[in-house]
Amino acid sequence: MIHAPMNARLLMRTSAFRLALVYAALFVVSALVLFAILYWATIGSVGRQIDATIESEILGLAEQYERRGVTGLVDVLAERVRRSPDGGAIYLFADSNLSPLAGNLRRWPTLATDSTGQIEFDTTHNGAGVSRFRANILSVGRDYRLLVGRDLRELTELKVVFERAAVWGIAVVLILAIAGGALMSASAQRRIAIINRTARQIMDGELNERIPITGSRDEYHDLAIMINDMLSKIEILLDNVRHVGDSVAHDLKTPLTRLRNRLESLSHTELSMSSELEKCVAESDQLLATFNALLRIARIESGAYRTAFSTLNVMELVDGVCELYRATADEKRVTLSIVSKPEVLIYGDRDLLTQAFANLLDNAVKYTPYGGSISIDINELGGQIELAVSDSGGGVPAVDHLRIQQRFVRLDTARSEPGNGLGLSLVKAVVDQHKGELRTENLDPGLRMTMILPRDTGDTRSPASGL
Amino acid sequence: MRDSTVYFAVGIRQGLVVDVRILIIEDDKDVASFIVGGLQQAGYVVDCANSGKDGLFLATTESYDMLIVDRMLPEVDGLTIIRTIRASNIHVPVLILSALDEVADRVDGLKAGSDDYLVKPFAFVELQARVEALLRRPSAPSDGELTTLEVADLRMDLLRRSVSRSGQGIDLQPREFLLLEYLMRHAGQVVTRTMLLEAVWGYHFDPQTNVIDVHMSRLRGKIDKGYTRQLLHTVRGAGYRIEELGK
Repeated sequence: MIHAPMNARLLMRTSAFRLALVYAALFVVSALVLFAILYWATIGSVGRQIDATIESEILGLAEQYERRGVTGLVDVLAERVRRSPDGGAIYLFADSNLSPLAGNLRRWPTLATDSTGQIEFDTTHNGAGVSRFRANILSVGRDYRLLVGRDLRELTELKVVFERAAVWGIAVVLILAIAGGALMSASAQRRIAIINRTARQIMDGELNERIPITGSRDEYHDLAIMINDMLSKIEILLDNVRHVGDSVAHDLKTPLTRLRNRLESLSHTELSMSSELEKCVAESDQLLATFNALLRIARIESGAYRTAFSTLNVMELVDGVCELYRATADEKRVTLSIVSKPEVLIYGDRDLLTQAFANLLDNAVKYTPYGGSISIDINELGGQIELAVSDSGGGVPAVDHLRIQQRFVRLDTARSEPGNGLGLSLVKAVVDQHKGELRTENLDPGLRMTMILPRDTGDTRSPASGL
Repeated sequence: MRDSTVYFAVGIRQGLVVDVRILIIEDDKDVASFIVGGLQQAGYVVDCANSGKDGLFLATTESYDMLIVDRMLPEVDGLTIIRTIRASNIHVPVLILSALDEVADRVDGLKAGSDDYLVKPFAFVELQARVEALLRRPSAPSDGELTTLEVADLRMDLLRRSVSRSGQGIDLQPREFLLLEYLMRHAGQVVTRTMLLEAVWGYHFDPQTNVIDVHMSRLRGKIDKGYTRQLLHTVRGAGYRIEELGK
């Protein structure tokens, strides 16, 4: 059902939700790119600054060596170490055996014994625990090596903060994107559901139903207006067709009635002609009955009877009609039995439902052979009441099950029986007006016609309109 | 059953309907002349008004035995006319003619104070049968206290719910009893199948087949079988009548 409470599975199915997922992926990728740029601009830049500082310092120191030799460099280094007591900067000057000559690093880092250029290594320094350093190594003179480095603790801390921020940021983006998508698709789904519901009501025969127009002037609003305009157009066309049909029936009925009355008065006076005239009266009565049935079906389909709906006892209705037809069934030695008798209520029009049930029973009696049987079965299934009439007649070929509900359709096997081919059309129209269903099944032998009608739950009634 | 079948026109005895005055309020001239003609032929004295205003004036100033009122009329509509005359304490029987056949309309009509309701277009026999039924309807309270109904030697005791013919008890099912009661209350009058379906079963639709005829032939089997004088007659093209013929 379209208007059932929306569940997660249904939500996943909607195109809006799929779109939201795509957007969520896009958001996450964008956020990643954004964080990458930020990383490069902040942490990357700090790193590059450190590199530049190390580079210029080591070149400066190399220049000192060039000018003042080993002892000069040792002096300068001692001075630098003294100026950097916190140990943020490290220096080491070593000979060809990598034995320290000066600086604040106790020994040459093991991983960089014969390399020059940039290295990163962990070491303890100044009793501040293990921390990471970045250093440049330069060969000075023929046998000496110089190492200048900087503490990376702050950079590392910054990196941790940044990574945490990135993880949380992306998580939040993901959650927001999915939640937003779900909300968006739910709202789209809600508005589509309104359109679906209206379409369903119109298919159920409430042709004057329209999609409610909301205040927001978006594409759904435009769609609703367009569909409503289309529905109005269709309704006008349908009304025209129905009106033509109805007025043909109505306009023919009146002169036919007069004709019948004139024939009848003739048949009383002209005694010699009376037998033929009586046949004419009978023929015109048959025609009138057909017109009446046609007009009644049209009236039912227009919803004119909805105002007279009330709560009815199904069993009373069935008993009454069975009582009316029992005599006719007895004539044919047909047994008529009511199988189950539950106490169920229905919300509908008493006259219409009585006539619909009478038509089903009428058919059953007509098409059940001498000595056959008819059973009436009332069942309550969920919110529905099934009112079934089963006969032991010849049945109806499965291909014709829907066709026999159409107007004027009479199967060849039925031609010999009286009738106008409108009985089941009326049943169908009545059942449709009660939002029910008419089902045809073959039995072996016979036919079962079932009216499936919604049970009276007390909240199904719509406020009576008009009159 | 040829001998029990009589023509409706033959069954109308002029003496019975002399001096019965009927007012027809109907704006459709064709329908009005058709009804007036038919009822005059049947021996009634008929007046006709073509608008609600004229009709209301006649109904309140003249004395009639019955009114036939179209529901939809120019100036003053049918229901207003009926409410007005009922408010003026005029208790004449009223038959409404209407093009509407919904239950709600029927109920509205009866609520306004009418006694019967006939949907247009109708066969004249149907109108005539209903007119006769309404004219014979017990209006005085003393008639309402009938405890027995009698047609020839057929006797119905309404209190003991028993029926006998020539003193011999007849066993009837409840619905057959109601059917016979309705016929006997309208003895001598034509009763149509539609009237029976409405009065005895309370249904307002035409059954497709002759269900009423089957009930009637059963009833006939119980009350007429074995008797030389037939009481229950089929009126061809109209309905049924219970009556002792050739008395």
